[in-house]
Amino acid sequence: MGTINSALSLTTGALDADQAALSVVANNVANANTTGYTEETPDWQENQPINVGGIQVGDGVTETGATSQRDRVLEERLDQQQQLASASSTRLTALNAMQALFTPDSGSSSATAGDIGSDITSFFDAFSSLESDPTDNALREQVLSSASTLAGDISSAANSLHAQSAALDQEASGIVGQVNALTGAVAQLNLEIQSTSPDSDAGTLEDQRQQDLSQLSQLIGINQVTTENNGLSITTTSGQLLASEGQSFQLTTGTVNGVTDFFLDGTDITSRLATGGGQLGGYLTARDVDIPGALSSLDQLAYGISTSVNAQNNSGVDGSGNTGVAVPGSTTGAETLDIFSPPPTYAANLAGGGTDVAGAAAAMSVVMTDPNQIAAAGAGSGTGDNSNAVAIASLAGQTIVNGQTPINYYSNFVSTLGATVSEVETENTAQNASVTQLQTQNNALSSVNLNDEAAAMSKLETSYQAASQVFTLLNTIMASTLNLGVETAVS
Amino acid sequence: MLPANPELKELVVEASRALARLDATRLEELAHSCQALTRARNREDPRERGLLAQQAQEAKADMAVFARVLEATRANLKVMNRLRELRAVQLEYTERQARSGAGAEDGHGDH
Repeated sequence: MGTINSALSLTTGALDADQAALSVVANNVANANTTGYTEETPDWQENQPINVGGIQVGDGVTETGATSQRDRVLEERLDQQQQLASASSTRLTALNAMQALFTPDSGSSSATAGDIGSDITSFFDAFSSLESDPTDNALREQVLSSASTLAGDISSAANSLHAQSAALDQEASGIVGQVNALTGAVAQLNLEIQSTSPDSDAGTLEDQRQQDLSQLSQLIGINQVTTENNGLSITTTSGQLLASEGQSFQLTTGTVNGVTDFFLDGTDITSRLATGGGQLGGYLTARDVDIPGALSSLDQLAYGISTSVNAQNNSGVDGSGNTGVAVPGSTTGAETLDIFSPPPTYAANLAGGGTDVAGAAAAMSVVMTDPNQIAAAGAGSGTGDNSNAVAIASLAGQTIVNGQTPINYYSNFVSTLGATVSEVETENTAQNASVTQLQTQNNALSSVNLNDEAAAMSKLETSYQAASQVFTLLNTIMASTLNLGVETAVS
Repeated sequence: MLPANPELKELVVEASRALARLDATRLEELAHSCQALTRARNREDPRERGLLAQQAQEAKADMAVFARVLEATRANLKVMNRLRELRAVQLEYTERQARSGAGAEDGHGDH
């Protein structure tokens, strides 16, 4: 409920503030408080370098020049929104692919569906079944079979995530060439514009430059800074220079820890590009944040189940009367009655008291081949005893995975992923709507006719006011119906 | 067209769409639908109130989208207002330049 509460609260507050602002606008736009307005609008602050209208007025710019300047500001706003929309759209595609890995196919078996939640339940249920007759070989085989399904689905999901990460890495690398070509083109156009039209609109040359900037905005987050004589500098959203006057600065790539990193003038700017927007931002966020997060959760799950089940099985007595002991010469921490292979970091954690679980999911597999090695009996009991099978089955309800039961941990992981997908979907829808609005405005304002401009503005204002009214009504209905802000069963 | 008694979720989704395409007329229609819903909410019929509560629950995610679209529109509106302000200042300057230019020419002609 936190998300919608926050969103509603934010918007409701903004609406209150806007009532006064809209009145001012309606009465006399020219008297608006410019300084305050700039401070209150981060997007506008980002556009501040473009705000050289004052300077150009001082230089005696003509009316045509003013129109060009106006369009550039709107186009930059459009570019900014496009960058955000591109980033969220790219990230959303990657997140949907991730989510599909954890969405069981209806009607298929758990082995092919990748339904890890159901695999966990089946695995511990198999031990519960074994309790009834610990000597039944078919029940023992069922335990190993369900263990294989669980391990197979977890490792398969982890390997699929690694494959998705590699694909995203490749897509991200492929963007660099396009970015460099476009920044080079902008630099060249800067030179031409500055030499042919330093004081006025350069017509088609400026159109070409704007087109390049729009394409660039689809690929990477940028800021645009107008300079003297109709020049333009481009930086990444975090401020690294990509083009200035007639010079462009090339992005380069290099492999760091197995993935592609991005460099500008020798500095690794990968993490800054990830938050910067554009397709590249979307790819990098999915590659460096979303997928590693999911992998880490799977590793935790695999490590918790493997090590807990192995430890419990090794403490019991198998069908031949043996108890688990360390495998001589093993460097992995393996014991003789392990059901699952020890996770890659298990031995080091045992020796050093560490908690590293990296790689546990991808490496998860069943090493036990003889069902007779399942230690259903408790230590000191006969082979017909079932007390250790009971103990292993009860692990399902114990907090063996990062302080949670296995099934709760997995459910929370899937829920969190779903919430992230939903959140990014919401962002993307809103950003696309904003892009549509700005494109409408841009088309309407391409004319220098003041009546058209006034009509376009009026449409935007009227729509906003009508939408505000709808929102307020809906908010009232929702708030009273759901008791928003109050902890209730429905909220 | 929305049905005679649209569900809350449909209203919210349609509001986002109408705002994205700046369809003020549609938004005003939706405002009327919302007022009708408000009247329904005020009725004492527990079945209708229960139904509305269920619809509100289903519309929560779409309401969040609508809130975001509204915020984006507000930001766009501020940018457009700023542009209009710039435009007004620049036109005023141009007119002043034109007037002073004409005055200078007249003066020149006097000599």
